[in-house]
Amino acid sequence: MLKQLSDWLDDRTGYKHLLHETLDEPVKGGARWRYVFGSAVTTAFMIQLVTGVLLMTAYSPSSSTAWGSVYYISYEMVGGWFIRGLHHFGAQAMVVLLFLHLLQVLIAGAYRAPREVNWWLGMVLLFITLGFSLTGYLLPWDQKGYWATKVATNIMGITPLVGAEVQKVVVGGSEYGNQTLTRFFGLHVGVLPGLLVMTLAAHIAVFRRHGVTAPKHATGSEPFWPKQVFMDALASSVVVGVVAFFAIAERGAPLDAPAEPSSSDYPARPEWYFLSLFQLLKNPAFAGENEIIGAIIVPGAIVAALMAFPLLGRVLPGKLAHFLACSLVFGLVGVAGLLTMQALDEDKNNADFQANRVKADIARQRALFLAGHPKAGVPPEGSRYVLLNDPLHTGYEILQQKCLSCHYYDGKGAMERGPDGKLAMTRQVAPDLAGFGSLAWIRGLLDNPADRKFFGSTPQCGGMQRWKKSSKLKPDELDKVADFVASFATVKDDETPQDWLAKEEVANHPGLELFKKDCGRCHMVDPEGSLGEGGEEEAPNLFGWGSNRWMDRMIRHPEAVDRYGFMDAKDQMPAFDETELADREMNVILKFLKGEYISNPPGTAQVE
Amino acid sequence: MGQSPAEEHTAQPSRRTFHAVASVVLGSVIGAVLSIPGVAFILSPILKSKNAGNDGSAADGFQVLGKLSDLEEGVPKVFPVLGKTKDAWVQYPEEPIGSVWMIRQGKAVTAFSAECPHLGCAVSLGPEGKTFFCPCHTSTFEFDGKPKNAVPPRGMDTLEVKLSAAEDPEIRVKFLRFRTAIPEKTPLA
Repeated sequence: MLKQLSDWLDDRTGYKHLLHETLDEPVKGGARWRYVFGSAVTTAFMIQLVTGVLLMTAYSPSSSTAWGSVYYISYEMVGGWFIRGLHHFGAQAMVVLLFLHLLQVLIAGAYRAPREVNWWLGMVLLFITLGFSLTGYLLPWDQKGYWATKVATNIMGITPLVGAEVQKVVVGGSEYGNQTLTRFFGLHVGVLPGLLVMTLAAHIAVFRRHGVTAPKHATGSEPFWPKQVFMDALASSVVVGVVAFFAIAERGAPLDAPAEPSSSDYPARPEWYFLSLFQLLKNPAFAGENEIIGAIIVPGAIVAALMAFPLLGRVLPGKLAHFLACSLVFGLVGVAGLLTMQALDEDKNNADFQANRVKADIARQRALFLAGHPKAGVPPEGSRYVLLNDPLHTGYEILQQKCLSCHYYDGKGAMERGPDGKLAMTRQVAPDLAGFGSLAWIRGLLDNPADRKFFGSTPQCGGMQRWKKSSKLKPDELDKVADFVASFATVKDDETPQDWLAKEEVANHPGLELFKKDCGRCHMVDPEGSLGEGGEEEAPNLFGWGSNRWMDRMIRHPEAVDRYGFMDAKDQMPAFDETELADREMNVILKFLKGEYISNPPGTAQVE
Repeated sequence: MGQSPAEEHTAQPSRRTFHAVASVVLGSVIGAVLSIPGVAFILSPILKSKNAGNDGSAADGFQVLGKLSDLEEGVPKVFPVLGKTKDAWVQYPEEPIGSVWMIRQGKAVTAFSAECPHLGCAVSLGPEGKTFFCPCHTSTFEFDGKPKNAVPPRGMDTLEVKLSAAEDPEIRVKFLRFRTAIPEKTPLA
């Protein structure tokens, strides 16, 4: 029955002949382990094909969605981390195996006549594979891929004559964004696989025409099946095993924080097998106008030399040509290895690089934590807003950039480079903002206004210290007043002092009378003077102190009459209008100061 | 495998068998390493019990859609339902996620999901305004939700309604989605 079916199928398709052609191909000199590399690369490519198609069913190529979809694949979908891990390490396996294959072919002298064309086809396959790496690196649209791709495409841009145009076409404009991703995605999943499959088919067909390059002493032959197939299968299993091992050991593939074009200190590095080229570009010999030598001419010359190997034998004695070819490749391997070590070593000993990497890792962990948090997730505006909208990450960052050159936060200022080039903490000339607007802050102020946390670093604001010397309020009374002042933080945007005072909990507050009697002497709260007339000394209006409206006005208009307009301009805080501090930035700063954010799980590294 | 002349000078038949069997086994292992996680990956929506959906309404699942005075006796009116949805990785803020038809009889209110029980199109009113009508495959329903023709497999899906105690009561509705094209009203998990 089965026999009849297979005979019928064979009659209609001729598959038996095809199988015979494929499996019983005679291997000159018998099966050998050294012939497994081609199959091993093909297996690695098969891993890429299968996992790549799977990933394609879940990936979304746009600058707002790419990172989120990769997050979803890695952390939410069943087995997604493993599929992505296989794809990530499979890509590296492909590069490594291609290189081993190249070395084997080189040593065996299999690039020489009559196999010249296959050597060139192999070179084309090598370029297609590097094209896969380059385009695939960008797809998660994370910091790592974004910055590495920027560098790679800018190198493209320095190509003579057509560089700028080529770069513009590849990037899809002059800015990196949606068009860059869709183009890279199209190349990665459509153009390059098509090219690779076609070239691979040609490569195998040409290989079949000439057969293996057997050692000179080898005699006879044996069919491909089963011994060589077994060797190839074992090698392929080792490849799959190693790739799966790395995928499991590393818990999938890395995903950095979402791409943030405004980053000023992201420590960009290419994939490890490009580190030697990266290091080459750092060499002073290739600086400035000579950049093109290191970026294009040297790699181009190496490629040209490799391409020319099969032709060397035409102008030089065979043995000498082979010796030169092998020496060149091994020499290059040595130099590349040395440059790679150098690149790694320089990074290891570069404190700034390490500090920036730590910072980038904190951002990465925060982004992954928020993306998976039921109260956060990836906002509809796009993946970068996971961090941009986060008070803890972005609020603190903006605070450091814009506020901590004068204020401190939790005893620390900003780190700025002095004229000597050394990083040093800024000098504190304004209050510490940690807990500003809270009960603890105001209670601390009432205890000791001269503390550096409060007005100890602003001699121009001496009012509270003068009050402290004359005030007779006892600790329990201070508690009540502090509690009353802290309740200002709940004042709503549209509430007038009258509305607020009419509330029962305000009218009956035990600190109300004390506030009128002591604080109201200087701080006026409403024009009617129902909370004290003010005027004994000049002082800011405290209505809404600690609320968004109070803070907003303090930051936008410190010169206003109801803030610190009574002081000399040089003693006031500088005003921050919308151009210096956008509404979105104001929003995250205020939320950060009020602690309105999702806290990190215990044990997470914090920004220093 | 077909016999080839080259085979005559291979090693012993037992080694040949070993190579053949081992090749098939190794090939299968490679296939399994790739296909098992691959199939699981594709089946994620089934294998993952956690279901993203809307959770915009109150803890009991009811949300206020309007007041009794918004409805005229016997005249159906459509109301948007709000909810926070999670679309794979994207967390949307509260926004309209569906529609509900409501109709009043005295002090009682009936609410119907506007999703047609046939194949899920949005049900609107018929040409005369006397029936519910689905523009996709002409499902037609009475105002009490009963099917008027044989197109839909069941009547329109009613939703739970609660009225508050106020003089002009708030109408609170529990919005759910149901499986389409089957005679039973089965909520989607």
